[in-house]
Amino acid sequence: MNSTGRLGAVVRKEFLHIARDPRTLVLVLAIPIVQLVLFGFAVSFDVSSVRTLVIDQDGTPASRDYLAAYEGSGFFTVVGTGDELSDVDDAFHAGTADAAVIVPAGFARTLARGQKAAVSILVDGSDTNSARVAEAMATALNSLADQRIAVSWADANGIDTQAGQLTAQSRTWYNPDRISSLFLIPGLMVVIVMIVTVQQTAVTLVRERDLGTAEQLRISPLRQTELMVGKLIPWTVLGLADATLIAVLGMIGFGLPLRGDPWTLGAGAALFVCCALGLGLLISALAPSAETANILGIMVAFLPGFLLSGFAFPLEIVPPALQWLSCLFPARYMVTISRGVFLKGAGFETLWPQLVQLGAYAVVVLALATLLYARRQR
Amino acid sequence: MTTPAALPAPPAAIAARGLSRAFGTLVAVDAVDLTVGAGAILGLLGPDGAGKSTVLRMLATVLRPTGGDADVLGASVLTGQDHIRPRLGYMPQHFCLYPDLTVDENVEFFATVRGIDRPERRRRRDDLLGRMGMAGVGRRRAGRLSGGMKQKLMLAVTLLTQPALLLLDEPTTGVDPVSRREFWSILRDLHDGGTTIVVATPYMDEAERCTDLAFLDAGRITRTGTPAEITAAVPGVLVEIAADSARDVVADARGRPHVVSAHVLGDLARVVWDGDPTPAVVATELGVPTGSVRAATMDMETAFTVLAERGDR
Repeated sequence: MNSTGRLGAVVRKEFLHIARDPRTLVLVLAIPIVQLVLFGFAVSFDVSSVRTLVIDQDGTPASRDYLAAYEGSGFFTVVGTGDELSDVDDAFHAGTADAAVIVPAGFARTLARGQKAAVSILVDGSDTNSARVAEAMATALNSLADQRIAVSWADANGIDTQAGQLTAQSRTWYNPDRISSLFLIPGLMVVIVMIVTVQQTAVTLVRERDLGTAEQLRISPLRQTELMVGKLIPWTVLGLADATLIAVLGMIGFGLPLRGDPWTLGAGAALFVCCALGLGLLISALAPSAETANILGIMVAFLPGFLLSGFAFPLEIVPPALQWLSCLFPARYMVTISRGVFLKGAGFETLWPQLVQLGAYAVVVLALATLLYARRQR
Repeated sequence: MTTPAALPAPPAAIAARGLSRAFGTLVAVDAVDLTVGAGAILGLLGPDGAGKSTVLRMLATVLRPTGGDADVLGASVLTGQDHIRPRLGYMPQHFCLYPDLTVDENVEFFATVRGIDRPERRRRRDDLLGRMGMAGVGRRRAGRLSGGMKQKLMLAVTLLTQPALLLLDEPTTGVDPVSRREFWSILRDLHDGGTTIVVATPYMDEAERCTDLAFLDAGRITRTGTPAEITAAVPGVLVEIAADSARDVVADARGRPHVVSAHVLGDLARVVWDGDPTPAVVATELGVPTGSVRAATMDMETAFTVLAERGDR
């Protein structure tokens, strides 16, 4: 029996394990879809309308122009007009509005004098998410509308009104380019692939050890590398399938553009999957028990995936120590590739450094995993 | 005139010299010398934690000795793994197949990675599962088999490569008596076919089925010999006394000058008596009716217990 035959047997066996465990299948296929839909909806809320009550106490062409900008933005849907502050309370209580814009009397006069005019924007703080979103949008809008308009912020949660407590800047670092659902999906793809693959391979070698099958394999002619590669192939296939699934769903369901070179993206994804799997195998080779492997897998996949990949925060704003740490995980390189290809239309000529980094990472981590696993078996 | 040269003794299947294994500061196996002739069934006996599994794992080349060496099938376990492994079958104590795969899938997988080609795989699978009385269970998940079936499946997988040496680690522990008998009848067939077998077992009745025995205690071999030699090593004879209160008889017997050992077995008091007494002598000394005393054959269980009590194993 040649090497291909043995490798094939391992691959077949691994696919059988996956097929026999419904939880694994759910994790691998359903979670990406659920995540994408969750993120998609949460984020598409960003671009959809915030129900807004407008109160024009000034009643001048200037105030009407200013408020028209809200209606025209697409971010805000004006659901009604009121006369006084109590109308806002009523609307928030009734749940008919999430935000209110109040243009006080004297708005046009102040502007005409060349001074900063004050505008109040009240946001229903009971829904923190929509509150933040609405704040951010109003800020963006104000900066577009007129630099001279000073906005006084208020966060209204029913009765409690505290002006000036919230700052609009809180949202801008979260999404530095511009507010767009599309920005998150390419990163999300990386995070999901990382979560699915690292954790799965993390438990795989430990499982062989716990089952006692590792010993049986050792006294067979099966080579260490054949076992490793045989375990990697099915998960490479599934990891790439997940990446494709997310990309296609993102493009069809959320209008994600694919502006750059798909081959660069594909090559990056393949290398990235190998890196993630190698990381999983490394955990598997080191972990003393299946439980430890599981927890390590989750930690290594989630923390660097979400926090140190640039998916949620730009890496420039995290402390230098964490920036260094982020270089130890493959997600950051792949997030750059994914965003670059999808959003910026980049191709091989700009992203080759990341591809090289991923390739080197894959080689090192797989070699290390094989070495450590072999050493432990002594 | 030339005398025909004596036939050379068949080479030993296993020859261990000073074989040792330490886990950190714990010495699990301490300088074991052990020779197993080709074609023998060696029973490796000893309490839990004596080091039986560790010895077997070193002989199976899945655990590296920290001291000494052993020749297995003519090659050193330190340097000759590639020579040993293809001709060796090792069955660990715990179920070591994939529980989520079916019986057929397990057999197919292990046969493939062990380098058996396709038509031969199928033939051996059908042959082995048939011999195990498992012909109809090919599509069942291995993890859902009964304990006895699991052990037989493991043996079938171990036998795929038709090994010259079988190392079995407590293969019948937790298996019902019927399955145990079946299992041993398979082992006897293999023995008749010339396979060398080393079997670790806690069951003394199984020890009696072996051709050779080795007692292991705290990592050291304390006694080796054939079952007959072991039972002969116990001084005295075994007598059984049927009594309503066997416990009282045993309590009374212990400590008397002629009594080597006394134990309860059901409603029998089993007493090992130094010398060769008549039933009347025993009855008089213990104060029981002469008719309740009869001589019994020394069995392995008693021999092992007595030797253990004497600290003379």
